[in-house]
Amino acid sequence: MDEGRPIFLQIAEQIENDIISGQLPEETQVPSTNEFAAFHRINPATAGKGVNLLVEAGVLYKRRGIGMFVAEGARARLIDDRRTRFADQYVTPLLAEAAKLGITPEQLSTMITERSTS
Amino acid sequence: MTTATLTPSTPRLSRRLGDIVRLHLANPMTVIVVPLLVLTAMFAVMIAIALMIVIGTGDSSAAASFSKGFQYSGTSFYIFVYMMVVAVQAMNATFAYALGLGVTRRDYYLGSAVTWVLFSVAWSILFLVLGAIEQATRGWGMNVRMFTAIYYGEEPVGRAVIVFCAFLFFFFAGTAAAAVFVRWKALGVTVMLVGLAFVLVGLGFIVTLTANWPAVGAWFVASGPLGVALWSLVLTALLAVAGWALLRRATPRG
Amino acid sequence: MTAVVRTRGLSRHYGDVTAVDDVSIEFEQNRIHGLLGRNGAGKTTLMSLLTGQEFASAGTIEVFGQSPVENADVLSHVSFIRESQRYPEDFQVRHVLATAPRFLPHWDQEFADRLVEEFRLPVKRRIKKLSRGQLSAVGVIVGLAGRAPLTFFDEPYLGLDAVARQLFYDRLLEDYSEHPRTIVLSTHLIDEVANLLEHVVVIDDGRIIVDEDAETLRGSATTVVGPRTAVDAFVGTREVLGREGIGGLASVTVAGLDADERRDAAAAGLELAPVSLQQLVVRLTGTSEKEFEKSA
Repeated sequence: MDEGRPIFLQIAEQIENDIISGQLPEETQVPSTNEFAAFHRINPATAGKGVNLLVEAGVLYKRRGIGMFVAEGARARLIDDRRTRFADQYVTPLLAEAAKLGITPEQLSTMITERSTS
Repeated sequence: MTTATLTPSTPRLSRRLGDIVRLHLANPMTVIVVPLLVLTAMFAVMIAIALMIVIGTGDSSAAASFSKGFQYSGTSFYIFVYMMVVAVQAMNATFAYALGLGVTRRDYYLGSAVTWVLFSVAWSILFLVLGAIEQATRGWGMNVRMFTAIYYGEEPVGRAVIVFCAFLFFFFAGTAAAAVFVRWKALGVTVMLVGLAFVLVGLGFIVTLTANWPAVGAWFVASGPLGVALWSLVLTALLAVAGWALLRRATPRG
Repeated sequence: MTAVVRTRGLSRHYGDVTAVDDVSIEFEQNRIHGLLGRNGAGKTTLMSLLTGQEFASAGTIEVFGQSPVENADVLSHVSFIRESQRYPEDFQVRHVLATAPRFLPHWDQEFADRLVEEFRLPVKRRIKKLSRGQLSAVGVIVGLAGRAPLTFFDEPYLGLDAVARQLFYDRLLEDYSEHPRTIVLSTHLIDEVANLLEHVVVIDDGRIIVDEDAETLRGSATTVVGPRTAVDAFVGTREVLGREGIGGLASVTVAGLDADERRDAAAAGLELAPVSLQQLVVRLTGTSEKEFEKSA
């Protein structure tokens, strides 16, 4: 767990990552709150908060008396969201750092093309 | 925010006090085994002295003339005084522990008091039995009188009452001292002992100045051992109350 | 929300010294609370007051809605093993394990046996002969297996090695998940327990200076590092929790930043570093971190 960032957000992100990567396919059961807590050595309430965040977002859903499951269509929705956030999360800091070093956006774009083809 | 309430699961008072008795008995070494060893050692010394007399005079009947001396022996007194030590040790050892486990001072004190009353009963029975054996064997065959010393009177019931009162007195003297110790540590006990000495000396002075020693002596003679023992119950009760008054504001320290 | 502990204006003076100063807090039911602060800040005194071991100089205490002082109904639901807990000196470990359950009605013997084995506690050794770590293990076992609805752990792991401490955290979480109860964990090893806590109370010099959900605290502060002038310009009138500097560099801890502010900082060429709970407590209680750890 990172310092300085709410743990429940990190838990939610990890579950999202597992769904995006396909480790948690749709309609499969996710570990219980207590299992998350024991595994990450965090407070169960915190783990529960992370899981609930995804329930509210419709990524997970509750089956009474059984547990939490990955919702249908969750993966596609998560990928969509992540794409939207991509620019903010990665491109903006990239441009800031580039500007610091005197790299123009054009040069940056060339660098990216070169890297991705090599 | 609302307040959590309790599902009443507190054991009854009798059960809670019983738990304190068991706490004192959890390790019988300090409170039972060692005192019995002390008693055994004192008994052995008495027997050894008697044997020396018998062997020295070369005549077992000669010892009979010493039985007058033996009956004034106060050896068994030490075991009473030792009970003070037992009470101080036991309470000093368990007070902070019991409070850590969520015992109230009141339960702790009452439970300890019950323990000492039960101990006094048990020791009195032991003295009664050993006294009976002593009488039946004519002083262990050598006119030794340890459990039937003259102070206890000649009558078994009276003896039992006197012994019981003596045990009670010293247990509760120990309880009061323990309360002082728990609250103010060794310094408190020192101050208490010095204070006690002053009070006793002061009383002695008053009696001397008013030339009342004969009256005091007369009171002891008139009351007899049994009377003195029964009067001691008043003092014992005062000690018990004093112990509680001190312990109820005591806090456990690390 | 249900409060198990509630104090109002609670104070405890010893002569001129004020150990606990006008404390008004609530501990919610079935949560793990952290009671953090420097040595001598008043943690132990506060817990002693809440468990009726100490007497308040002023203010009120409610535990399960009642005063805990000399209250058998309340205290039979409470366990508080101090860091410097005294056990009967002639006791062996097994005597503790035999007597403690009588006063802790929720005691689980199987759990206790398992913990004794895991902590490798010699049950026939006399308490006096135990190492500091073994003595701590006794307290941990009584505290965990006792399952008191309100359990206080006061620096429970002095002398325990890293493996044993991890064992304590794991068993605590595990058992708490299955048997939720109110736990108050007092410690200065904050980094180790930070993730276990749901609620954090920081006490300094007898006063409560933080009373906050752990998740709110996490990320509630950020350290901004960069050239002094740039840092000062960015910090502006924000509340500064701590400041350090070498030469032209400054490192300033400020209250939480939102996403826009973070972007501004990055644009200004400043570095942002997260502040751990321990660092935050250190900043708030005005200690250097080294000093804080030394008080262990």
